[in-house]
Amino acid sequence: MARFIERHPVWALIVIIAVAVLAWLVFAIWPPGLEAAIGRKRVFLNAVLNGITLGGLYFLVASGFTLIFGLMRNVNLAHGSLYLFGGYVGYAVSTWTGSWILSFIVAFVAVALVGVILQLAVFRRMEGQDLRQTMVTIGLSIVFADLMLWVFGGDFYQVQTPTWLIGPVQLPLLTAIKSSGEPVYLQYPLVRLVIFAASVVIGIAMWLALNRTRIGMIVRAGVDDRDILAATGVRIQLVFVLVFALGAGLAGIAGVVGGTFQSLSPGEDTRFLLASLVVVIVGGMGSIPGAALGAVIIGLAEQLGSVYIPTYAIVVTFLIMVLVLALRPQGLLARR
Amino acid sequence: MDSVAQRLSVVGAGAALELRGVTRLFGALAALTDVTITVRPGERRAILGSNGAGKTTLFNCITGDFPPSSGTIRFFGEDITQFPPYERIRRGLRRTYQISALFPGLTVQDNVYLACRGVSRGRFSFLRPGQNDALMHATETLVQAVHLTGVKDQRVAELAHGQQRQLEIALALAGAPRFILFDEPAAGLSPTERRELIEILTSLPAHIGYIIIEHDMDVALRVVESVTMMHNGRIFKEGPPREIESDPEVQELYLGGGHE
Amino acid sequence: MSLLQSTQFRPDPSTSTTRRALLRAWPEFQNPVAWLVALILVIMPLIANGFFLIEIFATTLILGIIALSLMFLAGYGGMVSLMQLTIAGFAGYMVAVFGMSGNANISLGWPWWLATPMALALATLFGTLGGALAVRTEGIYTIMITLAIGAAFYYFTNQNWAIFNGHTGINTVATPHFWGVDWRSDIAFYYVTLGVAAICYFAVQYVSRAPFGLALQGVRDNSRRMAALGFNPNAHRIAAYAFAAFIAALGGVLQVWNYRQISPGSVSVGACIDVLIIAVVGGITRPIGPFVGALIFVLLRTFALDVLIKLGLDGNRFRLLIGLGFLAIVFWSSDGVIGLWERWRRRNTSSTQRSGGGRHG
Repeated sequence: MARFIERHPVWALIVIIAVAVLAWLVFAIWPPGLEAAIGRKRVFLNAVLNGITLGGLYFLVASGFTLIFGLMRNVNLAHGSLYLFGGYVGYAVSTWTGSWILSFIVAFVAVALVGVILQLAVFRRMEGQDLRQTMVTIGLSIVFADLMLWVFGGDFYQVQTPTWLIGPVQLPLLTAIKSSGEPVYLQYPLVRLVIFAASVVIGIAMWLALNRTRIGMIVRAGVDDRDILAATGVRIQLVFVLVFALGAGLAGIAGVVGGTFQSLSPGEDTRFLLASLVVVIVGGMGSIPGAALGAVIIGLAEQLGSVYIPTYAIVVTFLIMVLVLALRPQGLLARR
Repeated sequence: MDSVAQRLSVVGAGAALELRGVTRLFGALAALTDVTITVRPGERRAILGSNGAGKTTLFNCITGDFPPSSGTIRFFGEDITQFPPYERIRRGLRRTYQISALFPGLTVQDNVYLACRGVSRGRFSFLRPGQNDALMHATETLVQAVHLTGVKDQRVAELAHGQQRQLEIALALAGAPRFILFDEPAAGLSPTERRELIEILTSLPAHIGYIIIEHDMDVALRVVESVTMMHNGRIFKEGPPREIESDPEVQELYLGGGHE
Repeated sequence: MSLLQSTQFRPDPSTSTTRRALLRAWPEFQNPVAWLVALILVIMPLIANGFFLIEIFATTLILGIIALSLMFLAGYGGMVSLMQLTIAGFAGYMVAVFGMSGNANISLGWPWWLATPMALALATLFGTLGGALAVRTEGIYTIMITLAIGAAFYYFTNQNWAIFNGHTGINTVATPHFWGVDWRSDIAFYYVTLGVAAICYFAVQYVSRAPFGLALQGVRDNSRRMAALGFNPNAHRIAAYAFAAFIAALGGVLQVWNYRQISPGSVSVGACIDVLIIAVVGGITRPIGPFVGALIFVLLRTFALDVLIKLGLDGNRFRLLIGLGFLAIVFWSSDGVIGLWERWRRRNTSSTQRSGGGRHG
């Protein structure tokens, strides 16, 4: 952090100002002129919170993608299919058993198993041929998409939110002051906050696992230099399978989250694949903190964009990607 | 632009290549430390040193494959430190690679043709060369000069090691080289091929200078007039071949333990 | 230099050299199969009815042109770009926006001879800028960035109503009429696509042996070495994107004339990937590959339904079939169907005669 400020004082200043402006917009009571110019504060706060919580979902999907790429140099373009599959499994479990929590566990295990099978049966045979692996993931994404269409059809599904999470909660964020002088606080769906908190916990757990455990050290060493990893005599294939299982499982969990937040239907696989791509291009390939930063940036850009410039929202997301590629092609937080 | 370059080359005509305080870091590791070298036009020099002495890194800094972390590089008086590799090559600098860096999917002739095309105009030409294309003639001549006419239509992947080394040299001779960096051109060659190499090097026109990295003292000392000895990324000794060869410190370092 | 000039260059005076050079440059000329295929393509309107002419052959040629642009980048440049269909679609949209269509509130109503060059120029610019972005990184990143560009364009066309008319797209796009010919009538349109496809095919074949194409292959094999020969590798890559974008744009213009409408569905991510599948299944090492791949793809898409139902299977599983076929090709042949066919032919010839000229090393 201190080194970043030292080396890029201008960028540090821009970031600090942007954060300060955002903080002011979130906490201050807006003067009437501002409300007249860009609309009500409640709308803005909702968009920000939606963006951050959507960022949490994007992080869940993209962290698995980036982990798999970082260690195995496998650009898994079937990652969106794993997401959608996880969602469908979660939907089936939750309607069958009525348990929301159980649907996460089953989705994680089921999709992780798919990941294990893929790594053992397919990708292990073509190690080092990154283009061919990517082609295979493209083929798989087509096959998976059609199989899921076959089984689940083209309908929309939504995973039922458990009753204890339904309904809004009042946040200590002022949206306005009524003429009577009574403060108005923001109401926000509890389920989104809980899910966001859960994705933060998962992110921190992953960070700790990568930085504080032996297997995490091995994985990180492998991300930095695969040859070193092979030379240390670690059972590298086992590490690969575990990482693939974890990455796929995370996509599965994300599928259930997405099915609760939004809905599941054919085409969602592509949407979340694109989100993962953009998040890791922006954040930096192979970097977990990068995925977190990229996810929040993209989530915010998407939600704020769709509120304030609805027909050009995607352009904002895209311009962020272009800007990062132009100025820092390896991504914001990637080393190299 | 051209006139500026020419004027500069007249001003700095004293040196073909001038390195001042060139340092290259890889992370915390210094591969080159404060290297200062001046080479006259037409001068032929060998760089000796054990593995890891920084010889190839030095070449990479000169050609711009990796830019130096600090220091300046002048080529015929012009400061080329910030230039991308291709700009340096277009000014008459050439190099060969320690491990043959050729285009295995293309034929011998196409490889040489590319080298000729790279230092002339029309690099983006959409027109195929005709029978009387000047560069085709130049290509033909170069292929003959390195004794590869018999295999000119073969893909490089099918060539023997010695032939690939010869092709490396042909690529460095394309166009109008003013200074060439040879990175272990004799590596893996048979005695006959070594003799051919020495012949090619000694018969280069007098105005073309070069630096050669060569472990084989017999080859190196027959084709150069001065020697620079490197150790641990620094210049260790400079002088005429005989002097360096008989220097006790050099013998200790190079002929003694350093030859792993 | 004295050494080099001492060995004199002696050009072969005989005409046979010229002939050999010609045959080396255009291998099709000595291949009887190529002549036969060309003949069949030219007399096709005598054989095939309107349905086959347009739905099968013109569609194949158009998809082949778009896939050819991908083949050029991937095969000669080593850059697998998934945005080629996006460029084609962009050109199609521009034809619809600048030219005439049923959506009078959007279309500017320019005549076709003004709208088409405009569309080609803009789409080429679009592809060049996308390429300039993609070459900021190398290798497998290309596929991700170009896919992201393609997907972003798809979502953008869905969201934007001012230019792209949202998810309904632009309908009843006008097609050229001049010299008393309706160029969208079956036979005329077939010959237009055949002509454009032939030009694109021979252009790619020609450029691959021209300095630009050779240099591009050099960049593909070893870009660092190319820089050490005086080439600017990224400039070559971007120029390749520009050339490929122009080819893709031609395909896109033909496509919008073919369907007379364009909508986000025409530039969906699935369609982008279909172009990759076509090129890979056909073979990405030679320009004929994409056309072979396109023919297979179009035949499957048109007839898979009937065949699957006849076999007592679910007729809607066309995509499953495509996906599995693609996987099979990726697993067994890095050179697509063309590669498989050549390997099969070589095995047949080598069993009859031993190929001579063994090389050392």
